[in-house]
Amino acid sequence: MSTQTIDYSKNKAFLIDTTKCTGCRGCQVACKQWNQLKAEQTTFFSGEGYQNPPAMSEYTFTRIKFRDYQKDGQNEFAFYKEMCMHCNDPACASVCPVGAFKKTKEGPVIYDAQRCIGCRFCMIACPFGIPKYEWSKAFPLVRKCTGCYSRIKEGLEPACVTACPTAISYGGRDAMLKEAERRMKEKPERYYKKIYGKEEAGGTCIFYLTHQPLDELGFKPVTSRALPSYTWDALRLVPGIFLTVGGTLSALSWFNHRKERVRREEEQRRQNADQQPKEGDQQ
Amino acid sequence: MTAARLIIDEVKGYHRFLKFMIVLVALGALASLLRFVFGLGVTTNLNDTYPWGLWISFDVVTAVPLAAGAFTLGAIVHCFHIKKLEPLVRPAIVTGFLGYSLVCVGLLLDLGQPHKGWHTLVYWNVHSPMFEVSMCVMAYTTVLFLEFLSPVCEKFGYRLPLRVLRWLEMPLVIAAAAISTLHQSSLGTFFLIAVDKLHALWYNPLLPLLFWMSAIFTGISIIIIEATMVHRYMNQPDESELLEVLTRILPWVLGAYLLVKLYATIFLSHGPLFDRPWLLMLFLVELGVGVVMPLVMFLNKANREDKRMQLRGATMVIFGLVLNRFNVSMFGMIQPDQQVYIPSLIESVVTVGIIAAHVLFFVLIAKYFPIFEHHPETVDYAMPDSFRKLDGAHKPAAVQAEQA
Repeated sequence: MSTQTIDYSKNKAFLIDTTKCTGCRGCQVACKQWNQLKAEQTTFFSGEGYQNPPAMSEYTFTRIKFRDYQKDGQNEFAFYKEMCMHCNDPACASVCPVGAFKKTKEGPVIYDAQRCIGCRFCMIACPFGIPKYEWSKAFPLVRKCTGCYSRIKEGLEPACVTACPTAISYGGRDAMLKEAERRMKEKPERYYKKIYGKEEAGGTCIFYLTHQPLDELGFKPVTSRALPSYTWDALRLVPGIFLTVGGTLSALSWFNHRKERVRREEEQRRQNADQQPKEGDQQ
Repeated sequence: MTAARLIIDEVKGYHRFLKFMIVLVALGALASLLRFVFGLGVTTNLNDTYPWGLWISFDVVTAVPLAAGAFTLGAIVHCFHIKKLEPLVRPAIVTGFLGYSLVCVGLLLDLGQPHKGWHTLVYWNVHSPMFEVSMCVMAYTTVLFLEFLSPVCEKFGYRLPLRVLRWLEMPLVIAAAAISTLHQSSLGTFFLIAVDKLHALWYNPLLPLLFWMSAIFTGISIIIIEATMVHRYMNQPDESELLEVLTRILPWVLGAYLLVKLYATIFLSHGPLFDRPWLLMLFLVELGVGVVMPLVMFLNKANREDKRMQLRGATMVIFGLVLNRFNVSMFGMIQPDQQVYIPSLIESVVTVGIIAAHVLFFVLIAKYFPIFEHHPETVDYAMPDSFRKLDGAHKPAAVQAEQA
């Protein structure tokens, strides 16, 4: 998409410092409450550690992932909050045939259920696997984190941010990036040398700071090029190809039909020429 | 009452095979009804890991190239002016029309909100390959419907529409080829967004071009299979002499495809190619059986002319194509640690029903409409002149005599 000119620096962004996360899952609860999402049947140890529920779903827009690891012979936990990354140039918005997804000027990527036809292309396209489907329904729609768009429009912070006691900072994208870089500089031994979300998928509105290497925590490696540009490279050729194929075939068939007509006329003339001398003789 | 009686008597007279097809279609219809009553989650094995399953992989992504015969042959006959293939055109159009209509059926079943399908016409998003494909499929289904109207009008002797259709013939053929080029390739564009999901064996920026080229050789192969089957089972003349023209074109397209495919895979792909033995095997089978073997086979003149070899080669091409589309849309998208998706019984019954519907409707249309009686020796191709001839053919002999 040709969104290079858009300024994302004032977008509202999350800075999630996983080294400060206590794994209390207050964000999960706040999210369920604000979005009025149903509780899910789970077991106590449904994923790694106390990870619960086992997966994101139509009822769970955010969740704390647990990772066990060993440090100096001690068992330790690492946590990471899974949620919509609110990409600068979102793949879901570019692939949706009816434009049901929209990147708002405030930052969140929001979804319009009225428009959605339920094709699930967004689920194929999203590099983070965020959009979920209402599989339980006969006429399902897509569900995902809204970045609490309705709250931030009224000047409030997202529900998960207000609930978090330690780890989430919220503010302008540039300010959050600066803050992240400041922390990394001040305590280099505390942080892994990469801000996840700064360049992923062309840049997102969620930044993660971690202690462990990203792949160990289960962060997906994602291309740093905005995903819509991959399909646009092909799609932008569409009008040209349509005209080229149509034009070439029109020209070709005109030429071939003309050849045929000339051949037939030639034949006709030859027949006439054969007849004419005879008529002349009779006169 | 009598009308129902007539229909029942007519159906009773059908061949056992057709009755079997009717049963399969009825089962498919019943299964798709269940999908609307109980929902996608219950009736299919789709989930958040596999949002697209059999219905997209086969009924849409594979069925569209399988229905490519109409536009390919239309361009070959009318634009490249190989007029002797004309007798193959109408059956190809019927196949295409049925194919696309059933793609629409499959797509509507798979949509979560089929009643909102028309939204694509209102809320345009030109950045979406899905938008492009759905617009093209709607446009092309209309084109195919108009092309299919010719035999219908001939059957009932509607002369005015026939004149209009004759006049529209060339524009429709060219529109068909242009629209098909767009959406056949855009089906490949679908998967360009799956950057870190689709395996490097299939993910490369030339995927749309490869999809388009493979649609062309698939279209040609489908016509070969269809003409052979029609000759074998429907008492139609042996067209293997005409098919020889197609088997002569086929190696060129297959060869070009192979070159582009190898170039794209070797030079344009990112990521490791040989890390997943199963995928590598699928890739090799797809390319070996579907492209290399028929290519080598049809380089030999004896094979090109032999009826049995024509069918065999074409079948291999189709097999390769189907495998290729499943590799791209399903197998290649499976991540190493993911559970494997197997379509549910209902999903499978629906897809089988859709295939059966295609065969059934083709046979029925061939039974009641003049789709084979369109041979070059009986038709005058000079376009404006052919009307009078057509008019004459439909008037009773007595009227003609009077006029004379």
